[in-house]
Amino acid sequence: MARVGVFVCFCGANIADYVDVPQVVEEAKRIREVKFAIDYKYMCSDPGQQQIRDAIAQHRLTSIVVAACSPRMHEKTFRKALSDAGMNPYLLEVANIREHSSWVHQKDKKAATEKASDLVRMAVAKSIANEQLHEISVPVTKRALVIGGGIAGIQAALDIADARIPVVLVEKSPSIGGKMAQLDETFPTLDCAQCILTPKMVDVASHPYIELIPYSEVLELQGFVGNYKVKIKKKASYVNFKTCTGCGACWQKCPVKVDNEYNMGIDKRKAIYTPFPQAVPNKPVIDAEHCTMLTKGKCGICAKVCEKGSIDYQMQDEIIEREIGAVVVATGYDMWDPKPYEEYGVGRFKDIITSLEFERMVSANGPTNGLPLRPSDGKVPKNVVFIKCVGSRDEAKGISYCSKICCMYTTKHTILLHHKVHDSHAYVFYMDIRAAGKGYEEFVEKAQVDTGTTYLRGRVSKIYKKGDKLMVRGEDAQIGQVVEVEADLVVLATAVSAPKDNPDLARLLGISYDKYGYLSEAHPKLRPVETAKAGIFLAGCTQAPKDIPETVSQASACAAKVCGLFAGDTMKKDPMISTVNTEYCSGCQNCVKVCPYGAIVTDEVPFGHGSKELRTVAKINEGVCQGCGSCVAICRSTAINLAGFTDPQIINEIVSI
Amino acid sequence: METVTNQLVSIEKPEIVAPPDWQPVIIGILCNWCSYAGSDLTGTSRLQYPPNIRIIRVPCSSRVDTWFLIKSLQTTADGVLVSGCHPGDCHYISGNYFARRRFLVTKKLLNFVGFHENRIQFSWVSAAEGPKFAKVVSKVTEDIKKLGPLHLYKKENFEK
Amino acid sequence: MDYTKQIQEIATRLFAEDKIDVFVGYRLTGFDDNQVPALIRESKDVPLLVFNQKSVFNLSNYLKNDHTRNKRVGLVVKGCDSRSLNLLLTESQVKREKLYVVGIACEGVVDDAGQKMQNCLECMVPAAVVYDELLGEANMERRFIINADIQDMAAKELVQRREYFEEVFENCIRCNACRHSCPLCYCAKCCIDQETATLYNGANTTSSAFHALMTWSLHLAGRCVDCRNCEKACPSHLPLHLFHKWNERVIYENFQEHLAGVHEGDRGAFYKYSMQDPDDFIM
Repeated sequence: MARVGVFVCFCGANIADYVDVPQVVEEAKRIREVKFAIDYKYMCSDPGQQQIRDAIAQHRLTSIVVAACSPRMHEKTFRKALSDAGMNPYLLEVANIREHSSWVHQKDKKAATEKASDLVRMAVAKSIANEQLHEISVPVTKRALVIGGGIAGIQAALDIADARIPVVLVEKSPSIGGKMAQLDETFPTLDCAQCILTPKMVDVASHPYIELIPYSEVLELQGFVGNYKVKIKKKASYVNFKTCTGCGACWQKCPVKVDNEYNMGIDKRKAIYTPFPQAVPNKPVIDAEHCTMLTKGKCGICAKVCEKGSIDYQMQDEIIEREIGAVVVATGYDMWDPKPYEEYGVGRFKDIITSLEFERMVSANGPTNGLPLRPSDGKVPKNVVFIKCVGSRDEAKGISYCSKICCMYTTKHTILLHHKVHDSHAYVFYMDIRAAGKGYEEFVEKAQVDTGTTYLRGRVSKIYKKGDKLMVRGEDAQIGQVVEVEADLVVLATAVSAPKDNPDLARLLGISYDKYGYLSEAHPKLRPVETAKAGIFLAGCTQAPKDIPETVSQASACAAKVCGLFAGDTMKKDPMISTVNTEYCSGCQNCVKVCPYGAIVTDEVPFGHGSKELRTVAKINEGVCQGCGSCVAICRSTAINLAGFTDPQIINEIVSI
Repeated sequence: METVTNQLVSIEKPEIVAPPDWQPVIIGILCNWCSYAGSDLTGTSRLQYPPNIRIIRVPCSSRVDTWFLIKSLQTTADGVLVSGCHPGDCHYISGNYFARRRFLVTKKLLNFVGFHENRIQFSWVSAAEGPKFAKVVSKVTEDIKKLGPLHLYKKENFEK
Repeated sequence: MDYTKQIQEIATRLFAEDKIDVFVGYRLTGFDDNQVPALIRESKDVPLLVFNQKSVFNLSNYLKNDHTRNKRVGLVVKGCDSRSLNLLLTESQVKREKLYVVGIACEGVVDDAGQKMQNCLECMVPAAVVYDELLGEANMERRFIINADIQDMAAKELVQRREYFEEVFENCIRCNACRHSCPLCYCAKCCIDQETATLYNGANTTSSAFHALMTWSLHLAGRCVDCRNCEKACPSHLPLHLFHKWNERVIYENFQEHLAGVHEGDRGAFYKYSMQDPDDFIM
């Protein structure tokens, strides 16, 4: 027979003013299983908790009901009081008579008291079916996987590795560096991106705790927090990295020319190439799509000129498996394609370029030796129009969010233009200038003064050609007139968009993503780097557009989370998870389909007692289960139950009202 | 094709005349992360609503087995309200989408066998929607009061 | 529609080639022209097999007992039977490689009075969807669902429906014949027999029947293939198909025209979801 203790709290006047607390205690005493009931001014205070501890010992109580505030508030406090008294903390039930009764029925004390008594009765009924639960401890593999080798991935990998935790860094392209390696100078201080990034890239390559796997992608992730198994596909590079010295003889002699992605297709690279001179690892790969040796079997020059014999046309993709405990996803972003802006003549007029193309041109190691040139005739432009919010904040054609970095990089571009072409003039069409950040507003103001840029507030409605110039027509909202600007070059500040592969990656990892394709964090404010799946963290633009300082902070935050996860040899986990009664399970595996975390796998048990025949049943992986109960509700044979919210507990609540 | 299932005839009239002091019992099953937090917010904001609802906490609306609803009507409740996170906000990624399907079929089936559709109601209430929770509870209580007490089957002398 | 000869030939061949241990088909009762399921274990019994418009039962129900479990089984399935077989395969209750399925392109079966069964008139999938061998024309026309009695019932007023179903629940004797005859009720222990479910149920009350039948039909919602084995088995002649047909209709109309067991690997409607599912009934 259950022996329940009921403790009703006054919460000062919060409950007592609107609920007749002694009456609730009297009602509770009339329940058969209740062996002890008492009220107190503040149950959560130390003397209040002491009453609970004393009563447990004195009255040999088997479960405890505290009628007080919301369990979301003080459940943990009271659980601790129970365990201090040597009782299993999960034998506690909280009846929420403050938020659900006294505060919301302030005008009707009788009804509020009745309701409070009912809530207590329900909690008592539920607590009778409560079971002793114990925290679960799960062993952890102390190795982290970082997906993406941009600045976010680099920072996260370095921070984790510096804590002497091994890191596997997977990068899809032949070199790490990401978008930041394509930048010239960075706002608001105008330091050279290469100068601050390349030392970090070299650190990654030489770090004893980092295993860098370039030119590869993640194929499969299995397991659960602390115990993941990842399959990585290392794409065939056709170059043996172990013997290659990176001398460059191969790509200098290669006859095949291909658009250079690193320079946004402004110049050409070879079919065997390193993406850029400072690449890490600085080893070339063969672009199988364009290499004539691989496509047609003719050529083979690179193999002839390679002194080390590192070229291997027979190389195959390789599958690498690693056991890891946590994942940091840092897949960055894509530049949004401005094709929908037909009125701008995107695609028709050569002299309309995107901001990243401009960035490559003004870059010291860029295709034009640092000079912005008109793609049509190669002349240096004098009048340059920058158009902001191309794609951003435009639900009709683009995306409704603000890309966050365009205001700042356009300001930077006006400065860079001024530096490179002294007699040039820049015009900026803008909607707002969003310069929230340390030193950002000052940067924008100074740039406006120094460069003498004309800022026009309004959207561009049309761009048309007049001779070899482009006429940009837009509205200047501040004077309320249509203005036309003659431009040699138009630069579109295109939006930041989520990587195209993000939905596939999210499905593969078992995490969620939003309608734009950005990966979703567990909580927008309080858990911004975690995902809903334990042990998977987000860094950088893969979660939402952000600038470099923010990306680096988030990457370091990820590293802190990973280090925290790996601080002990095991992890503690809430025991309120599903369990399978294999006797009832018929093995239909519908639960496997419903589980959002992939926590349910199949297992085989003997058909009957002592039988050799096996049958399939569901098995919950307790490290992965988050305790949502989806599987419980769809299990027709009620073989699955959720600890803390079992069928008997909930039905007891329903029938006891 | 003509849709049949959305055209059930339901006329609002009390099934039996309620005694004057009768108060309905409504079971509210709320998900822990959105609706329960929302109902807590209703409390902390001191928004008033009728005292007929008895709240049961579950981790997610997808934990709500269809037979909780049937059992509630069979035993103690005159009406049931189930509330969860808005679509897309589920703490457990996809729980409420599975729940939504079951709720629709359960509601339609019970309506088909002769229970007014307002006996079982559903809502999405987020953790920020304290006022909405008060509104939802007031509406459900009013609906059930209009319908009168649920005597499951009158030939059966079932003691509540 | 008479495939007696073909089925006997197939069964003889399968026994001769030692491909099966047992063949599940139909035979005559022996005292009228009604048929009962037959489990044929030897080729000498094969002449007992018949198949015509009186072959009403869904034989996939016979895949869950000890006579057929883990044995190599030959099986005759009509359109609806093949859908439940499909679900049993998807839900890992039966192994496909142990089965030899004789599919029938069914023209509809008749009831005791010789009238075509109503579910056959409304049949959406007349030809078997899973088979090793198909008898009849594969590309049968899919008929438009009428659901006449569902429409009639839905057109009644709430109180009339309540009274009608009160009588249904009252006449239920809780014998569970419906459950045993249903091919898709294969749970080791049925949830409505379990302690928590029977709480407050009483022995055999109207409300306990309400609880049991509602739970049962919701567990079959999105899975029921409308074979009406349950109705044929019900000693009280309850119109059990009304629940299932209604659920099928609700699910068909609201969840992207889901029909149970038509496609291989397709699970019940409750084990998947779509962003487009109706949301307007939720406040």
